[in-house]
Amino acid sequence: MTAFVDILFGGVFHAAVLFLVAAGLQLVFGVQKIVNLACGSFYALGAYFGISAVNWALKLGLPPQLFLGVLLLAGLVLGLIGPVIEALLRTVYHRDEAFQLLLTFALVLMFQDVLRFFWGANPQQLGDLVMSYGKLSAGGVIVPTYNMLVILASIVIAAGIGTFLQRTRFGRILRATAENREMSQGLGVNVRWMYASVFTLGTVLGTVGGALVVPTAAASLDMPVELVVEAFAVVVIGGLGSMRGALAGALIVGIMRALAIRYYAELEMLAIYLVVIAVLIARPVGLFGKPVE
Amino acid sequence: MDQKRRKILQALGGTGAVIAAQPYLSFPAFAQNAPLRVGIIAPKAGIAGTIGECGLRGTQFAVDRINAGGGIAGRRVELIVEEETNPKDSIERLRKLVLQDKVDCVQGIVSSGVSLAMGAVAEEMKALTIFWDGTTQDGVKETMVNPRYVFKSTDNECEAVMGSLLAVKHWKGKFKTIAGINPDYSYGRNNFAAFQALLKKFGIEHTVVADQWPKVGTTDLNSHVAALKAAKPDLVFSSLLFADLPIFMRTAHGAGLMDGGTKFVFPAAGFQHTALKKSFTPAGMIFGHNTLYFDHPNASALQKQFVREYEDKYKDYPHWEADRAYFAMKVYQAGVEAAYKAKGAWPNQEDVINAIEGVKVESLGGPGMMRKDHIAEQTFYQGITTHNNRYDFPTLATPVDVMYSDQLQKPTGMDFWKWIETATIKL
Repeated sequence: MTAFVDILFGGVFHAAVLFLVAAGLQLVFGVQKIVNLACGSFYALGAYFGISAVNWALKLGLPPQLFLGVLLLAGLVLGLIGPVIEALLRTVYHRDEAFQLLLTFALVLMFQDVLRFFWGANPQQLGDLVMSYGKLSAGGVIVPTYNMLVILASIVIAAGIGTFLQRTRFGRILRATAENREMSQGLGVNVRWMYASVFTLGTVLGTVGGALVVPTAAASLDMPVELVVEAFAVVVIGGLGSMRGALAGALIVGIMRALAIRYYAELEMLAIYLVVIAVLIARPVGLFGKPVE
Repeated sequence: MDQKRRKILQALGGTGAVIAAQPYLSFPAFAQNAPLRVGIIAPKAGIAGTIGECGLRGTQFAVDRINAGGGIAGRRVELIVEEETNPKDSIERLRKLVLQDKVDCVQGIVSSGVSLAMGAVAEEMKALTIFWDGTTQDGVKETMVNPRYVFKSTDNECEAVMGSLLAVKHWKGKFKTIAGINPDYSYGRNNFAAFQALLKKFGIEHTVVADQWPKVGTTDLNSHVAALKAAKPDLVFSSLLFADLPIFMRTAHGAGLMDGGTKFVFPAAGFQHTALKKSFTPAGMIFGHNTLYFDHPNASALQKQFVREYEDKYKDYPHWEADRAYFAMKVYQAGVEAAYKAKGAWPNQEDVINAIEGVKVESLGGPGMMRKDHIAEQTFYQGITTHNNRYDFPTLATPVDVMYSDQLQKPTGMDFWKWIETATIKL
């Protein structure tokens, strides 16, 4: 039983990481109908900037235990690039999806060079800082406290987004805009501002996610593409544009991966994409996606 | 911006100007000659970026010493550095170095995937090439049995063989179940297979309870660690060697995998030695430092000088790629100078190649030679880790185990697995 909980925990941790990337992707597609391949780049940017911010803070004498706050702040500050990128994407809102994909893929490649320019080409890590939070132990299950915090952060973010979309006035306007942009515009909604806000929120999800996860992992130039590939599996399973789908998809991918690694280590990707294929055949719009009318 | 990388490149470019002013005491006849041009192809980015960087520093150290001593047979050495990336692009850079820059020798290459492809091209182009760390093995099978122009490093499996021997020596009778977590390409697969073959050779009955094959560059190893923990192995063998090794160590420590009596063998840990902090890397593990252990108490004066200068200049401690790069340059120097001495005139490439075959040199990490089949022999260092040192990462407890590679790699023309079965290997 202890072993199963360990495996489950590994899967849920991976799901938490994937959710943070996929949530930004879903939010932007849900409202702006743009498949933003650059969401993985925002994640990587958050990871690199988070490392630099923590190193600066430590040099200034910040106690190591407070590095989590620095990471969160770094992720939030980086969200400022959201409106800039959104202004660029405005040029392709009314173009074919192929143009949108090409532009966001170009952003992925450009960000890779930006990362290389500022942080160099070698993977970056935060050393043993994560150890300062210790471990949690119960019934033979040992979990790094920091990993638990990342999972909790993802849960809080998921709940926060759900509440924001369902319970707030802005959320209702946002959903209405997602359903019918022209109607919203006709009713006086400032769609341009709405799009900029949503894109910035999507960007922040990525940058905060990257910053939060990097103490347990490493920041590398390859991470944007690798994450986007997995995030797309999440989106296909959960349904494009659905936040609940992002959550369900991330959990399915994370746990399937963990089980595959435990029982058939060489079939890790096969196990995930078998689920993707099954969903595409049985329910092409994904578990929580809406059919296109 | 990567200031360190820029400084290295500036230093490489600037060396010629500094050294040009120095008198050539040993070979005055060539003082007016053009410099010897050596092309270096090394990774500067990605998972092997830090490895290439360390190798370049080893090359620079060698070239500075050679030029300060009057150059190679009186000709100073000039470096032209190109980046090692994928096989296709790296081969294009080899062509550029040979055809456009007209280099006298090409050195470098960390990835066996690149060297496997590049070896054949270098042979075809008749370009004298000395690999730092690359081989021309497909798995453990040699694809270039009798190369003429290509000189290879020691076999990739040397560190796995030595790590396995130390596991047998120190822990025989103390483990029955084993698990592996190794990179998912031929290096990782061969290393784990070699470990099992050696356990069999020494009559150690064992059961493999888990084998994990994360892709190189995987940054979330929580599920892999959970799988290892679930399998409850007595011993874990891992040839992880890039940025994924510190991640594994941190994850395994955090999940309690190291809290029990499980034993660990990391034959390639030396690549990441400074990143494996004491706070998450317990003492008592087998670590491999390959052909350069920076803190060896009995190190040569040459190694001590190199480590001291490296620490002063880069605020870091070198690993084995610096030694491999230094070794390659010294092998070339020894070959050229031996050929020059024998001929009494400047040797051609064929003369140099003939002289390199069988040449012995003193490398940073210790003695080495180039076999007549163009495979290097070098000195290897491994041991049990200790926290009893002045660093924030573990080093090796004394006495450090030292083995020459004639005990660790197959002889000319022999099948690797057959060699393991039949070789007389001393523990």
